[in-house]
Parts: sequence; structure tokens; C-alpha cells
Amino acid sequence: MEGHDVSVIPLVELKGIVKRFPNVVANDHVDFSLMPGEVHALLGENAAGKTTLMNILYGFYHPDDGEIYVKGKKVRIKSPADSIKLGIGMVHQNFRLIPVHTVWENVVLGLKETGFILNKKKLAEKVKRVCEEYGWNIDPNAKVWQLSVGEKQQVELLKLLIRNAEVLILDEPTSVLTPQETKNLFKALRIMAKKGRGVIFITHKLEEVFEVSDRVTVMRKGRVIATKLTNEVTVEELANMMIGRSVLFKLVKPAIKKGDVVLEAIGLKVMGDRGVLALDGVNLRIHSGEIVGIAGIAGNGQEELMEVLAGIRKVYSGKVFIDGEDVTNKGARYLIEKGVAYIPSESTRWALIRDMTLVENIALKLYRSRNFSNILTINWRKLFEFSKKLIEEYDIATHSPSKLAGILSGGNLQKVVLARELSATQDGKIPKLILAAYPTKGLDVAATEFVQGLLLKYRALGSAIILLSEDLEEIMMLSDRVAVISKGRIVGEFSPTEKTVEEVGMMMVKGNTALGGRKVCLS
Amino acid sequence: MFKLERRMHISRKVSSIIVFLSFLLAFFVTGVLFYFLGVNVIQFYSVICSVFITPNLLIQAVFRSIPIILASLGLVVAFRMGFWNIGAEGQMYLGMVAATGIVILHVFYEAIPVSLMLAVMSAASFLAGGAWCLIPASLKAKLGVNEILTTLMLNYIAMLFVDYLVYGPWRDPEGWGFALSVPFPDYATLTLGGHPSIAGIIISVAVATLVYILFKYTKFGFVLNVLGKSSEVAKYAGMSVGRATLLGSLISGGIAGLGGFYVVSGMIGRLRPRASPGYGYTAIIVTMLAQLNPWLILPAGIFFGGLLTAGDALQSLLRLPSSAITVFQSVIFLCIVLAEFLRRYRIVLKRWKQ
Repeated sequence: MEGHDVSVIPLVELKGIVKRFPNVVANDHVDFSLMPGEVHALLGENAAGKTTLMNILYGFYHPDDGEIYVKGKKVRIKSPADSIKLGIGMVHQNFRLIPVHTVWENVVLGLKETGFILNKKKLAEKVKRVCEEYGWNIDPNAKVWQLSVGEKQQVELLKLLIRNAEVLILDEPTSVLTPQETKNLFKALRIMAKKGRGVIFITHKLEEVFEVSDRVTVMRKGRVIATKLTNEVTVEELANMMIGRSVLFKLVKPAIKKGDVVLEAIGLKVMGDRGVLALDGVNLRIHSGEIVGIAGIAGNGQEELMEVLAGIRKVYSGKVFIDGEDVTNKGARYLIEKGVAYIPSESTRWALIRDMTLVENIALKLYRSRNFSNILTINWRKLFEFSKKLIEEYDIATHSPSKLAGILSGGNLQKVVLARELSATQDGKIPKLILAAYPTKGLDVAATEFVQGLLLKYRALGSAIILLSEDLEEIMMLSDRVAVISKGRIVGEFSPTEKTVEEVGMMMVKGNTALGGRKVCLS
Repeated sequence: MFKLERRMHISRKVSSIIVFLSFLLAFFVTGVLFYFLGVNVIQFYSVICSVFITPNLLIQAVFRSIPIILASLGLVVAFRMGFWNIGAEGQMYLGMVAATGIVILHVFYEAIPVSLMLAVMSAASFLAGGAWCLIPASLKAKLGVNEILTTLMLNYIAMLFVDYLVYGPWRDPEGWGFALSVPFPDYATLTLGGHPSIAGIIISVAVATLVYILFKYTKFGFVLNVLGKSSEVAKYAGMSVGRATLLGSLISGGIAGLGGFYVVSGMIGRLRPRASPGYGYTAIIVTMLAQLNPWLILPAGIFFGGLLTAGDALQSLLRLPSSAITVFQSVIFLCIVLAEFLRRYRIVLKRWKQ
């Protein structure tokens, strides 16, 4: 509660909130408060626990532990209906609007005080008044699907304002907006704050924190790292709090002469899930025997880069070559056969099936190989023997390959994915290109060491490796070359010996602000 | 305070126990229900039991179970790949239409040699049922249309299409104006071994074996299995999801179409309106009860065939309307849905912390 007037009762106060999901603690004793008249930024990387915390406040999830106070009174929020009654409203990342209905109908939907018969005139006036207040120009009779993204967001806010919400939660509201729309949104947020409402603004973009917020709370791995007044903190401090540092052990990284170019990407543009460019002209060249680390704040296009190189996402424009062959948009199967191994982020979810056996999981790509099948049928006995060998080689804690994958721990599951991807892409040959997205995430020290050792081993064997990591030090330590990605562009490439972790951290952050066309210079 | 917790995984043993207990629960719930309706519950169940121990009735039960079994085997393929095909009923009707069409072609134009009739009829039924299932499958693969709605709605179209045919162009000219097709000549009926149920059993066991082999040994079966668990992982593994969806549903609808072939060629001997009393819907219950296991489909199917047979006896002995059996079936279905829920979630007793 640094630097705040203690006599003012906070609009919302969360104390010691704990929320556990299977295998992960999303919120670990989180404290948070919101004052009337402030815009409070909630900053953190993806999966830091920001959205979970807000979903708890919104009544979407129930905390396993902790207390919630609204205007000084202890409350239990059982559902979004409760939170709306308490004056708390949330605008989700994906809008909850009915596209075929009009703006007006969407706003009225679920409104309590309307009664059975709508007083359309009175409400229409109220809608108009609110719009004028914020300088919005939405036609209440327009169908929602006709609106631009920015306007849809205004409708969402309108819904909350009509319900007199005093606490407005916005979950990464700018991720879908154009710079101009973002500016308008920030203007509206400032007006809301001036009127004594409280705004919680979830983001992972540092420059936005400085642009709109009064106070900022940084979260990492489910914990609050700090809460500060925005004008008392520097970009560097925030970046360090957000990205974090970890204790590392020394790895022996032998010098290796890099070989031929394995992968070349030229002018790669790719659409993200939200229909905006996730990659905006990426050029990348990787040799065999080389690890290239991609450093960047989560959500800047690095995962889309991996997906497109694995053939799971379509190339919008640009070209991808492997060994000089144009493989643009050839599809996942073709690339697998070319020798691309892919360890996706959240691999236990996207690269494994929990209620299938280990053999079946190991067979996921291998079942097509001539060694293990003929035209029609799969040789399960041979696969079983092969799986047994892999289990031994990778030291996977299980009695038998015919056990279900779901009973294994996260670390062991990651080993299963690695075992399959590294040894099984193409009939015993080593993979040409290894795409490793956060391969050590969530693993304990021993497993981390094991995975890092594996990557170095395959580097020595001549694979080209692209590595993503949440841990900047890991990238610096393992990579032969580091590329910094920001807003879908590579903004810098260098050898890890040339720069310090702090400098790279600044590049990640500055790259983020560069496109905003505005200097972040406070303190 | 009860709390539901998602299970991360479940062993096959626990899973079958849950299903079996839910199945028993259905007997209990139905018993209570009928007790309060003033039915003699003991007599009710003894009539049902008698079906399975009286040879004549058992044969009848098996006979009526064959279209259910075939439709279920088709559903096993669809459900395993996560394609929620509710349209076995319609696919069966298309199978009937195709088989009847071949007979009509033969009777009026003599286009097909007699010795090949049954083979051509069954092939045509398979293709017609499969094609009917391809409509919702391609809508799903290309446009992402929910298959539950489309398969269900196509049932009514198929049923009314049969009505149109037998009231219209396919009405038997010598049939005294009844809405019936021409009767099938002997060489177009399944008379192998004296009773049509024998051919039916052979077909059912053969299809069950093929379905078993498909999923146990073949590459395509493996792709369908993976697709059913997670289409994202299937895409990740480089499997072509669209093609698998289409081919899988072709097989699924095709097997149901074979069931339709059996109905007209083995049971009725001609096409008539409402030729299926809902075999395709009962098949959904059977498939769920058998846990998508092709071998378990056989006993589960016979059980439901027995229920249909018992329906007649209940009508005459207990003066119960035959829809009493529908009630029983529905309770079984609800209990299986409950089992499905318990397979996914675990109920945990938990105290609220103050």
C-alpha cells in the first residue's frame, strides 16, 4: 500500500488469495487492492496468474483460500451475478456479445432493473448520455457484427457503465486494438477514473502501464512481486520484476563448428489467432549444430513462429526453406518427414494424450514409419519394444509402456515428448531441426538439467535448434546466437557473449515500445 | 459441501465399474418409478428376464437386436473419432432405400444377376448410409458445423424420404394401394440357414471383428483414436484431420446402412414407412453402454433387442403399454450419461474454510 492515503477505503481488496489448478498454483497468497479513482495496472507475463486473479474477483472461479473485501466489507462472490451486484464488471479478452443482435439489445440483455416491460426510451437516453460522456459514437441500432473491434469493446464497457459498475476489469484490452483505438480507450479509462470509478487493467505491455496507470502490481508465477506507484518506478525495474531471474548452474558447452544452413525464413508474415499479424516480416537463418534462442516477452510472436515452422500454422506471406528446399505451407506431416521435431509450449497438452498409453503417445508420429508399420497395419509389438528402450534411455519413471500417460508427472511427460521428438522423427536419424518451446518450463532442477543436456547433445550431433524460454539466463547460456523478438519482428541478433542479461531484457522491453512511437522515460 | 474435481485420467477398470453400477442403478430407478405407478415390479422384471431364458424369445431378441448391433458398430467408429453421430437412424433408412432400389432395378429391369443380388444390395446400402453420413461430416470438416444437429435433422429427412418413395414412385402396383414397396423375391432375402437371424449373427460378428481390427491394428484406426481424444494433437502429429473425419464417417454411416439392409432384406422383406422403430436411437444407448468396445456391443445389443421383445409380452401380460420399455430404455440412458459424468469428474467432500 505504498504511498497511498490510508483513510480512503479501497473499492476492492483481495487478501491472501490462493487458487490451485491440477498441477499448478495459479495464485499463491496474492494481495491486491484498488482505490476509487485509480487505474491500476496488473502486469505480468502470460500464465503469471493475472487473469485467474481477476476471474476470482469477478466470481468466475472460487478461491481455495483468501478473503475478498468490497468497500471494506468482507464478501463471498459465488458467481458473476454476485460481482455485478457488488458493482464489479469485467471485459474479457474475447468479447461476450451476441453478433446478430443490436448494440442496444446487447446492452439491455440481463439488465435487472428493466422489469418485464422495457422502458426503451429511458434506457436509450441513458445509453446516449454515457456515449456522449466518453466521446463514443456508436449507433445503438447497429448490429454488433457490423462494428469494428474497438466499437465492440466500447459496447462491452457500455454494458458495465449502464449497470453502474464501479470496478471495471479489463483483460488485455489493447491486444486487439489499433494504436488509434488504444488511445481512445485510454482516454475513456482516464475519464472513468476521474469520476471515482476504479479500473483494473491487465496487461503484459510495459509502455501501457506508464501511459495509463496510476499504480502497478507485478505478478510472476502466481505471486505478487511488488505493487508500486507508476511514477515511482522505472521501466528497467518493472522489466526485471516481470521477467525474473533464476539461479543457474554451469553447463559445459563445447565449441562446435556450425555446419550448413538448415532453416531459412524470409520475410515471414503470419496471422495470429485474433486475426492480426503475429509475425510481421521475420528473417531467420539457422545452421546445423547451432542453438538459436528467441528472447522476447510472451505474446510477441515467438509461439506463432514455432507453429509456422512446424507447419501447424499457415504462412501468410514469405518463404520457409529447409536444406534449401521451399517448404512454405507444406503442412505438418511433410515437415515431420523432413526431420522437424517440435516440442510445443504446454507440450503435455498439445503434444500428448493423457488417456492413451505411453506406447500410443510415442507412436503419435512414428506410426507412419516403415520400420513400425506396413501399408495398413501398425506393428505394436515392435513399437512396444522401442518404447521400452526409450523409457530406459530417458529414465522415464514408469513400469511399462502400456501404462496411461496421464499417471505420470509433468517432468516425466516432458521426457516422453522429448524422447519421441528427438529419437523418433524419422527412423533413427537425428532431427534436422528441433523446435523447443519452453522445454524446461515447470520442471525441477534435475529434469531441467537433463533437458538442457539433451539439447546440447543434439547440437553436437548436428541438429539445428530453436529455443524459447521464459528464463532469459537459460537462453543466454544455451544459445550460440540470440534473436530478440518484439511485436512479431526480430529487433536484434547477437552472440550471447556480446550482451548482458540486463541489456537483452531492455531490448525485449524497448522493442515493445518502439512501435508505439513514444518514449518511455520516467523516473 | 460437495465439490467436483476433474479427473486427469481414469483406469479402464474403474471406468467399467462405474458404467456397470450405473446400469444396475437404472433397474432400481425404473423399479421405484413403476412401483409408484402401481406396476408389479417383480413381475415386470421377471417378464424381462424370461425373454433371455426362453429359447424362442431369445431367438426373437437376437433377431431384433441385429439392426441395433450394426448401427452401434457404426457408431463405435464415429464416437471413437469424436464425431457425435446421432444419425444412425437416418443412415439405416438410406441403407433400406438403396437395398430396395436394387431390388426394384432387378424386378423391373433385370439389371443384376440373381447370384450377386445380396452382395450388390449390401454394398449399395453401405454406400448409401455412408454417403448420408458424409453430408454432416463434410459440413463439419469444411465449415465447422456441429454434427449433432445435422445428423439428427437428417434422420427426419431420411424417414420422410422413405415415406415419399413408398407412398409415391415405389409403391407396389399390385399392393392394393398400401404404402409398401414390392415384396423382395427370395434371392433378395437373407434366408441362410433357415432363419434370418443366422445370417444376421454372421454379419454382426464379422463387422464387429473388422471394427476391432480397425482400431486395434490399423494405422487409420489409430488416427481415428487420436482424433477422438484431441484434434489438436492429431494436427500436431501431422494427421490429416479432414480426410480422417470424412473417411471415418463414411464407414460409420456405411455400417448403419448395412443395418438398414438387414431390416428390409432380413426382417420385413420389403420397404415400408417407419420400418425402424428407432433402432438407430437405441444404438446410441447400446454404444455408450458398451463403452465403444465392439465386442461388448454384441451382448449390449442383444439386451436391448430383448427389451423390445419383452415390450410385447408386457403388453399382453401386465397390460403395460409398450412405451413402458421406452421409459426403461430412457432411464438406462440417463444412468449411462451419469456414468459418463462420473468418469470425468470425481466428487470430493470438502469443508468450506471460514
